[in-house]
Amino acid sequence: MSDRSHETPERWVLHTELLWAFGVGVLVAATISMIVFTALTRNINPPSNVERVDPKTLHLSGEFAEQNLGTVVAADGTITARIIATQFMFVPHCIAVPQGRLLTLRFASPDVIHGILITGTNVNTMVVPGYVAQVHTEFTRTGELLMPCHEYCGLGHSEMWANVQVLPAAEFKPDRNGRVTCAQH
Amino acid sequence: MPVDQPRAADNPFEGPDDIDEAALTAVLRTVPLGAAVLAGGAVALLVLGYLIIYLLIFLPRGVVG
Repeated sequence: MSDRSHETPERWVLHTELLWAFGVGVLVAATISMIVFTALTRNINPPSNVERVDPKTLHLSGEFAEQNLGTVVAADGTITARIIATQFMFVPHCIAVPQGRLLTLRFASPDVIHGILITGTNVNTMVVPGYVAQVHTEFTRTGELLMPCHEYCGLGHSEMWANVQVLPAAEFKPDRNGRVTCAQH
Repeated sequence: MPVDQPRAADNPFEGPDDIDEAALTAVLRTVPLGAAVLAGGAVALLVLGYLIIYLLIFLPRGVVG
């Protein structure tokens, strides 16, 4: 360490504080840089879709009508899974998704605020009535994943869960309407 | 003065103390270094924990957005 005997204690304290402030600045900059870097290179961002939907007519017509729920592969190859979160179930109860392909999960609620997460992944969002919750993701491992409601929604909250069946790409085969359903075991 | 009130001489935080300037200066030279080592160690552990969770748990869980 350098000889600081010629400095006054106040200057030495100030020197230490400035050094500390510099170190903290470097840490904050490094943390923000990591977040920005992964957002730009790996597309990891907080889900931030803002899209209105009428919760009163959710099940009657439009995107979240019963026949449109579940996983569908569009003509251009994009994969979308539409799920309704309602007291106290998910419709459909199981969704089939492929491994290693980018897909979009879209959720809506006709009643109260729900929340979903998919175990072992970064998928985690609130489902607020009146809005479509949308998450883009890619599943890296095959298998059955649990998708519970993680926002207390009433007395049956603990019974509200669904399965996400991640299929190998070879087994993910849409029917002639582009729909994919869970394999029965 | 009421008898139940303490006199200034009874209060250890008032009045002259027996610390001389040289001792004070010596202490002020070493205390900032100790504080920096203690706080630096705590922050280093915190950052290490953040990095381990971010790199080994968060990133392998896949993209989301």
